[in-house]
Amino acid sequence: MSVIAPNFKLSEFIKSLLDNVFWIIFIVVLIGIPAIMMILFVIEMPVIDGELLTPFLALTWIADPSRILPIVKAFMATDIFRVMAFPGFGFAALLAAGTIFIERKMLAKLQLRVGPFYCGKFEGILQLMGDGLKLISKEIIIPAKADKPIFWAAPVLFVAAAAAFVAFIPVAPGWVVADVDMGLLGVFAVIGFFPIITILSAWSANSKFPFIGGIRALFQMVSFEIPLILSLLGVVMLTGSLNLSEIAASQSSFPWIVFLPVGAIVFFITMLAELERIPFDLPEAESEIVAGWLTELSGMMYGLVQLGTYLKLYAFAALFVVVFLGGWNGPMVVPPFPAEILEKGIELGPVTANIPGLPLFTQDMLNGTLWFVLKTVGVIFFILLPRGVFPRIRVDMLLSLGWTKLIGLAFVNIFIALGLLYAGVLGPGGLQ
Amino acid sequence: MVGELAGNYSTVVLMFAFGIVAMAPALVISRMISPRKRSNPVKFLPMECGQVPSGEGRTHFMMQYYPYILMFVVFDVMAIFLYAWGSALLEIPKIATLPMMGFLAIMFGAMAFALYQSGRRRIW
Repeated sequence: MSVIAPNFKLSEFIKSLLDNVFWIIFIVVLIGIPAIMMILFVIEMPVIDGELLTPFLALTWIADPSRILPIVKAFMATDIFRVMAFPGFGFAALLAAGTIFIERKMLAKLQLRVGPFYCGKFEGILQLMGDGLKLISKEIIIPAKADKPIFWAAPVLFVAAAAAFVAFIPVAPGWVVADVDMGLLGVFAVIGFFPIITILSAWSANSKFPFIGGIRALFQMVSFEIPLILSLLGVVMLTGSLNLSEIAASQSSFPWIVFLPVGAIVFFITMLAELERIPFDLPEAESEIVAGWLTELSGMMYGLVQLGTYLKLYAFAALFVVVFLGGWNGPMVVPPFPAEILEKGIELGPVTANIPGLPLFTQDMLNGTLWFVLKTVGVIFFILLPRGVFPRIRVDMLLSLGWTKLIGLAFVNIFIALGLLYAGVLGPGGLQ
Repeated sequence: MVGELAGNYSTVVLMFAFGIVAMAPALVISRMISPRKRSNPVKFLPMECGQVPSGEGRTHFMMQYYPYILMFVVFDVMAIFLYAWGSALLEIPKIATLPMMGFLAIMFGAMAFALYQSGRRRIW
């Protein structure tokens, strides 16, 4: 029987603990507190409920639980919260992680397998966490002749570019990281970064399989960028706006997929190609070129690329929902908040706490988020489904599909939109 | 739409930076806790399915993609012109669509010729 720590002495253990406590106090006093003071001196504190939030006031509010809520609300209105948590990175990463798990289970069911089963008590629900721990504890092997700085940077840049894509997606009315008037063009600009990052990673690996896979990925993404851009033009013509929030808000009575199904189909197919998913997974063709441009990536670098891929998948599905399926619009299903909570407060048994501003989110926002997530999950399901159904297609079929058929259909879609507009069915004087 | 500040896009840059700041520590932590054994030089050779790798990793590679690249350069710019027209379509008079149709007709002709040429592999 092996002993974990054969030379264990309680006195030395306590001494090491006290050592750590001493150094923590020492560093906090000498560096931490002056740093906090300097930061407080520089940043502007917000005004909450008519009072300027001084550090003293913040401390008293933290001591009083009923007054934390205004601080939380003020924090939720900042850009930092939006970038880190709700419409931004945290929300997208959560949905991306769910997508990975659902994909594995669903593919397994399609192929009469079980899928992840043992990790976690219920249906392998902790499999993703286990995979993450495995990836982070594996050795990162870099080929000896690789360009190391670019090779290290490429996975991180891939995740960051996917996150920048997520920034444009409006989740609920007013809940969007970057509410810009040229949102759709910004999306195209960010999509243009992915081929560059891919080819940089592939070239810097200095190996043959990544090189072939990277070139294939570059050509595929470049080929399908034009039908992707053209297929969304019909919606822009009917809406008269490039702002994604306005495009989503314009579909309050009907989604654009009702009038522009051709554009939606073209966009869906180009989406599959941009995401390198089956039947367009030539850059990662396992049976031909090992893993394509991911061949030399190992350990956490591979994990980061996977995370970036699924963030991108979420962002594309969300873009489809915003442009064609009506975004957050849907019938109100969230029950209205009871009036006594808004006015009086909550009763927890004998205690009645009067908490001002309790519902952190409005009813509209909860309802919008619910519909948005439902639609996005539906679109993600249809993106995942071909992987269990279709074989991979050849390169020349891919090129002829992208350059002749899809571009032609995208122009058909534009003429349909133009006809609807000039026949007076839609636009000013028409429906809506 | 006119006169939008570049500063409005700062949140996109912030999101990009947050992606880097949140994900780079994963690589650093992985480097810290994972084993690093430099015992075997074969381990650091490029992957070639178990064969001893031969030749350069970065070779000249004939893809015959030039016609498509040329078409991409033309059509990407054309698509952005179409967006400038399409987003203002509700405000301009209907007669202004005719020049755009002429433009599209010219582009269709050019594209048909380019696709025909791309089929003739010998010339590339």
